[in-house]
Amino acid sequence: MQSKRLGWILLAPTLVILFFFGVLPFIYVVYVSFHQWNPFAVNPEMVFNGADNFRQIVFDPAFLKSVGVTVMFVIFAVLSELILGYVLAQAFMRDFPGKAIFRTIHTLPLIMAPIIVGSVWKLMTTPSIGIIPHFLDEWFGITMNIGTSAPAAFATVVIMDIWHWTPLVTLTLIAALVSLPPDPFEQAQIDGANKRQIFWHITLPMIAPAVVATVFIRLMDALRTVDEVWMLTGGGPGSATRFVGVHIFKEVFPKTNYGYGSTISVIVLYLTIVACWLLYVTMLAPRSKKD
Amino acid sequence: MSFAFKMGASALTLTVAATSAFAEIDEAWWKSAAEPYQGVTIRGVTESSPPSLYIREVLAPEFEALTGIRVDVETTSWDQMFDKAIKDMEAGTGIYDMAYIEQDIIYSYLSRDFLTDLTQFLADNPELNAPTYDEGNFTTFADYFKDDAGHLYGVPMEAFLKVYLYRTDLFNDPDIQAAFKSQTGRDLVPATTHEEYAEIAQFFTEYGEANDMDLWGTTAQAHTGHVASWYEYYESVAPTFGVYNWGIDADNNYAASVANGGEMNGPEAVEAMTWWLSMRDIAPPESPASTWTEVGTTFGAGRAAQGLVYGENAGWIAADESKSLVVGKVGVALPPLKDGILEEVEGGTGYIGYYDGGAFGMPHSSKNKEATALFLQYIGQNEVQPDWAVAAPRVTNTATYDDPKVQEMNAKLSGYYDLIKDKGYLFAGAPAYPFHAQVREATAPIFYQILLGDLGVQEGLDQMAAAAESTLTELGYRK
Repeated sequence: MQSKRLGWILLAPTLVILFFFGVLPFIYVVYVSFHQWNPFAVNPEMVFNGADNFRQIVFDPAFLKSVGVTVMFVIFAVLSELILGYVLAQAFMRDFPGKAIFRTIHTLPLIMAPIIVGSVWKLMTTPSIGIIPHFLDEWFGITMNIGTSAPAAFATVVIMDIWHWTPLVTLTLIAALVSLPPDPFEQAQIDGANKRQIFWHITLPMIAPAVVATVFIRLMDALRTVDEVWMLTGGGPGSATRFVGVHIFKEVFPKTNYGYGSTISVIVLYLTIVACWLLYVTMLAPRSKKD
Repeated sequence: MSFAFKMGASALTLTVAATSAFAEIDEAWWKSAAEPYQGVTIRGVTESSPPSLYIREVLAPEFEALTGIRVDVETTSWDQMFDKAIKDMEAGTGIYDMAYIEQDIIYSYLSRDFLTDLTQFLADNPELNAPTYDEGNFTTFADYFKDDAGHLYGVPMEAFLKVYLYRTDLFNDPDIQAAFKSQTGRDLVPATTHEEYAEIAQFFTEYGEANDMDLWGTTAQAHTGHVASWYEYYESVAPTFGVYNWGIDADNNYAASVANGGEMNGPEAVEAMTWWLSMRDIAPPESPASTWTEVGTTFGAGRAAQGLVYGENAGWIAADESKSLVVGKVGVALPPLKDGILEEVEGGTGYIGYYDGGAFGMPHSSKNKEATALFLQYIGQNEVQPDWAVAAPRVTNTATYDDPKVQEMNAKLSGYYDLIKDKGYLFAGAPAYPFHAQVREATAPIFYQILLGDLGVQEGLDQMAAAAESTLTELGYRK
C-alpha cells in the first residue's frame, strides 16, 4: 500500500507537467477545432460552428493533397531508413578497419538540428551553385533544379530525411541485435537453416519489437516534418513537398486560420494514431497472442 | 601661424566645445529620464536584416551605456518574427516590449489594437519626451504607421525602394555597347519600358552563353514555394502594368475578379504575369529557388546584368567588397514601365513599385512601456541616423539625406538616396489591408502552379481572383 503511494508521489510531478503541457493544450486544440476563428477577420472572436470545419476538411483539395504527399514521403523515407539502417546495423556487428571512425561519422547527422540540416541541403542543392546539381551535370549531364522539378524536390527531401535519420534506426537495431541470445542461431545452423531462413524465422521475429518501436518513432516524426522541408523547399515547388506539417503551419500562422488549422491538427493526430495502431496489430499483436 | 590656420583652429575649437556641451546636455537628459528604469531589461523581436543588426550591435549597447536600461534585441527570420510577435500580442503575454512592424502588417495590427499609440503615450508622459526626438523629423514613410488622427504607432527604422539595378561596367563597355547596337539598333542604356528591359535581358543572357560566362540578363525573385515570388509580381511587376493594390478594389466590395469589378485577372494582370514569366525563363537557374535574399546574392555575385532588387541589399551590393563582386559597378534607375503609367502615377493614381520598410512599435502588452518609449525615441533621433544609414542603406529621417557621410554613400550607391528623396513619392507600401497575409496565403498556392506551368496564366489568375474573393467573404470583408 505504502509502495503504491510512493509510486504516485514520484509520478506526480511528471503527471502534473504532462497535464499542463500535454493534455490541457490538446483539449484546447480540440475545443478550438469546433470554432471559426481568425483574429484578422471582421469578427475576430471565436464563433462555434459545430462540425463545419471537419466537414470542410473532407472536401479541401489542398489538405487532401498534403496528406497524399505526406503518406508518400513516409512510405519512401521510413522504409528506406529501415532497410538501410538494418544493413548498416549488421555491418557494424562485424569488425572491419576504421569501424569506430565510420560509426562516429555515420552518427553525426543525428546531432544536427533539422533546421540546420535543411540549410545545409539547401546550399548543396541550389541550382547552379550547389555541389549536387553541379556534379550531376558534370558527370551525368543531368540538370537538377528543385525549384522547378516536383519529382526532384520530393526525392531530395526524402534523401535528406534518410541521411538525417538512418543513424537512429541503425543505433536502435544494433542495440536489438546485440541483445539477441546466440543459442537459437547456433541451433538453426546445426539444423541446416540458410541465412535467409535464419533472418525471416529467427532474427526478424526476435527484433520485431525494436523494429516496430523504431518505425513508430520515425512514423510519428515523419508525419510532423516541418523545419527541414520549410528550409529546403518551403513546401514547393507548388505543393510538391507541402506535407501536412507545413500545411498546418501555413494555415495557422501566416493565414491565422486558428479554427480550421486546429481541425487539421486533430485529424492528423487521429490519422497518426490509426497508422500506429494498424502497425501494432499487424506486427506485434499476432505475436502476443502466440506467446 | 597663418591667419587662416588660426581661424580654422578657433572654429574647430568652438565646434568641438559646442558639440561637447550639446552632448553633455543631451547625455544628462537621457541619464535623468532613464534613472527610474535603471536595471530594467526591454526586449524586442525583429527580422535579421542589416538595419536590425545595427540596432542590436550598435544602438542598443550605446543606449544601455547611456541609460543603464538593458536592451535585448532578438533578430530572427521573417516568418519567425511575425509568428513570435503575433502570438505574444494576441495572448498579451508581454514577452516583447518592442516588435518590428513591417509596413504591410501595420493595418492588421491596428485592426486588432495590438499597438500603443506612441504620440498619445508621449503626450501623457511629458517627462519622457526626449528633446532631440520629434515625429516631424521623419520622412513621409512614417505616414504608413499613423492612424487617421495622425498618431504614430511605430518609430520608422528602415525604408527602402525596390529599385532597378544594372551593371554599369557592362552597360558602359564599348564592345558590348557596339554588339547591342548592331543586334537591336538602339543604344545600351537602362530600360524605361518592358520591351527595352526584355531586349537587354535577352541580349545579356545570350552574351553570357556565347562567352561562357555565368551571366544572365535579369534577376527573378521567382521561388516556387515561398511568398517572395508572389510579392515580386504584386509589388514590383503588376503596378508597372497599371495593376495596383493586387487588383482588388477596396471601394467596390473588395472585388478581385474582373467580373465583379476587380483587376486581379484582367488583361493588364495577364500581360504583367506573362512578361514576368518570360523574364524568369532567361534569368539565372537559381531563380525558381530565389527569395529576396537570393536575388541580392545573385546580383552581388555578378550573375545578372540587371534586376529588380530590394534597396536593403543595394548597399552591400554596391559598396561591400567582402560580400559583393560588383562593388563600384552598380547603377540605379526607376523600374521599366508600360506607356502612360508614369503620367498616371504622377497624376496621383497608383504607384510604380514597392516602398518597403518597417518600424518598431510598442505592444499594449509591454510591461516596460516607459523604458521602451525612451529607447524608441533614441533610435528615432536625427543624431543616430547617418551612421545607421551608412551601415545599412535606409533613410527614415529627412535630415539624413544631407549628412556628408550619407552623401558620400549616396555617390557609392550611384544616387540611390537621391532616388528615394526625389522619386520616393512614385512608390508605395502595401495596400491598407488588414487581411494582407490571409489573401496572400489563399492565393499563393495557385500562383506557384502558374509558375510551374501547371496552370495557364489566365486560368491561374481567374482561380486566384476567385480564391481572393472567397477568402474575403469568409473573413467578412466582402459582403
